[in-house]
Amino acid sequence: MSLLRVNQLKKSYVSADGESTRVVDVDDFILKDSEFCGMRGESGSGKTTFLHLLAGILSPDSGEIELMGKNLRSLSHSERDGLRASVLGYVFQTFNLLQGFTSLENLKIAMSFAGSTDHEIAIDLLGRVGLSKRLHYYPHQLSIGQQQRVALARALVNKPKLVLADEPTGNLDPSNASKAIELLHELCLEANSALLVVSHDEGVIQGFDRQVDWGIINHPANTSEQKNLIRK
Amino acid sequence: MKTNLRTLFLLCNRGVRQFAFSSFVASLAIAMAGGLFLGTWKIKEGAQEAFNLSSGGFDAVLGARGSKLQLILNAVFHLEASPGNLKWEQYEVLKNTPGVKEAYPLAVGDNFMGYRLVGTLSSLFHDHEWKEGVKYKVQSGGRYFSDNAKEALVGNFVANKLNLKIGDTFNPYHGLTYREDSKHDEIYVVVGILEATGTPSDKVIWIPIKGIQLMEGHASEYATSVSAVLVKLKGAAGFTLEMKYNKQGNQATFAWPIAATLAQFFDRLVWFEKVLEWIAYLVGLVAGLIILAILRNSLNERKREFAILRCLGASRGFIINVVLGQSLIISMLGALGSLLIYFIMSGVASYFIRDQTGVLLDPFSIDFTFIYVFFVILFLGLISALPPAFLAYRVDISKNLRPLA
Repeated sequence: MSLLRVNQLKKSYVSADGESTRVVDVDDFILKDSEFCGMRGESGSGKTTFLHLLAGILSPDSGEIELMGKNLRSLSHSERDGLRASVLGYVFQTFNLLQGFTSLENLKIAMSFAGSTDHEIAIDLLGRVGLSKRLHYYPHQLSIGQQQRVALARALVNKPKLVLADEPTGNLDPSNASKAIELLHELCLEANSALLVVSHDEGVIQGFDRQVDWGIINHPANTSEQKNLIRK
Repeated sequence: MKTNLRTLFLLCNRGVRQFAFSSFVASLAIAMAGGLFLGTWKIKEGAQEAFNLSSGGFDAVLGARGSKLQLILNAVFHLEASPGNLKWEQYEVLKNTPGVKEAYPLAVGDNFMGYRLVGTLSSLFHDHEWKEGVKYKVQSGGRYFSDNAKEALVGNFVANKLNLKIGDTFNPYHGLTYREDSKHDEIYVVVGILEATGTPSDKVIWIPIKGIQLMEGHASEYATSVSAVLVKLKGAAGFTLEMKYNKQGNQATFAWPIAATLAQFFDRLVWFEKVLEWIAYLVGLVAGLIILAILRNSLNERKREFAILRCLGASRGFIINVVLGQSLIISMLGALGSLLIYFIMSGVASYFIRDQTGVLLDPFSIDFTFIYVFFVILFLGLISALPPAFLAYRVDISKNLRPLA
């Protein structure tokens, strides 16, 4: 059963000089329940915008996104917020931890939006990523690798149906990068979550059974006829 | 819902701590504005009420021709100089006028260590109720003075200040202010200490009126004159006496009713009150602008935080509440601070008023005004936070989640 279905999705930005530039133009994209997918693409090619559209934090110009059978366009703001809290986990390249809050608080805050109160889950999960002794550390007191592990734990703490990871290893050294990807796989498997990772790093994408080229599914500058040619 | 409230409080609290210094400055400005506002409002009101209650159970004062206010300040509050003297016969005439329930002559002109000696009749302490149903009392072991002896009854405040005890003796000094070279030869003995009344009676030394009248070195006309007469009336005698002394006569002034004259005095302070009130408004405005600036500046630094929260599932309403909540905490600290500042101001004011007049203010009395001011401060804090809250509401999540350069 498809967890995520994207159809005729388009998004353009208007630049400072008033010119409209289309950055996302995806005809069709499907992700099944518990499926892992690695999407490779150049930096600045619109992958982040695509993930933001999937997460409902950006609205498309046209097209449909269905998450768990719900069309994001038909949902109200608050319904979209609720869906993001309970169904989605998001991992950022720069981790985006809440700086004024400890590791545990970062997870607790994420849990509160999903209506969850069992903080043992957060403590267990931080233990699972090797940070049981860093529960009350603030992000600036953690190494880069530890910060990324907190970010992974936060993304998974609500056992989301879908985890979106945007260049999750972009700020890590090669050793930490491979550990982070392994951990992300493990945690998603345990939580039975689907995973969509976008990265320009071929090493990250190689580990996925399903690999997608962003440049192939997204061709904003090309006509649909050319896209068909590329597909063939 | 409960979890969200806890998260909301955590975020607001952390926001205040993150900008601790500027939050403190804003709270302090609010506290000063609120304290000043409460001070101008309540201290004057309290002082007026206390002064009215301190008229010692008298309705009127008869004295030399002059200002009613000066007469009352001199005879009732033992402040300022006497406007002049009356003849003893005038006191006798007044005392025997129908409608005059009680009349006590006063004579002033001497002091001991800066505290006034007030000469009167001992019947003032035996018969007069300084508050309805309450007569003066002396502390145990003491008694009232005899009208023909060189004895003194010391007000409670003076006794404490000068550490005077029963049996102590002292020499009076001429004049209302203490000068070492103006010592009289007479020696007075303390025979009683008055129980505290919280009225100006506490801050004088009472002696028999003959003591002042016949004090060595006083002019001979002192012997048959009085500085003022304290009067308690019955029925509508006040109108008749006012007509007699103030409209038809030109020898004396009849200050009646005491409360009305005091009210006129306090009315004269309105301009001062207004100035303080406007200062309070201005400080309040500045405090509001400081809150606005803090939240606006913190918003620039917190845009990413808000974007992350939105991405984690926080609603726009929740983000607004974080900003408003932060302002509410600052305002609440400011409101509590304003009460503290008010109590300090009030305490200092009541100390000086007590020291100068003997009138006792209750600096810590609390009424509905405080609750009103507290909630007005919170409301104004929320109003100040609305513009930054609106900007927080509109934070572009996608833009603020992008990696920093």
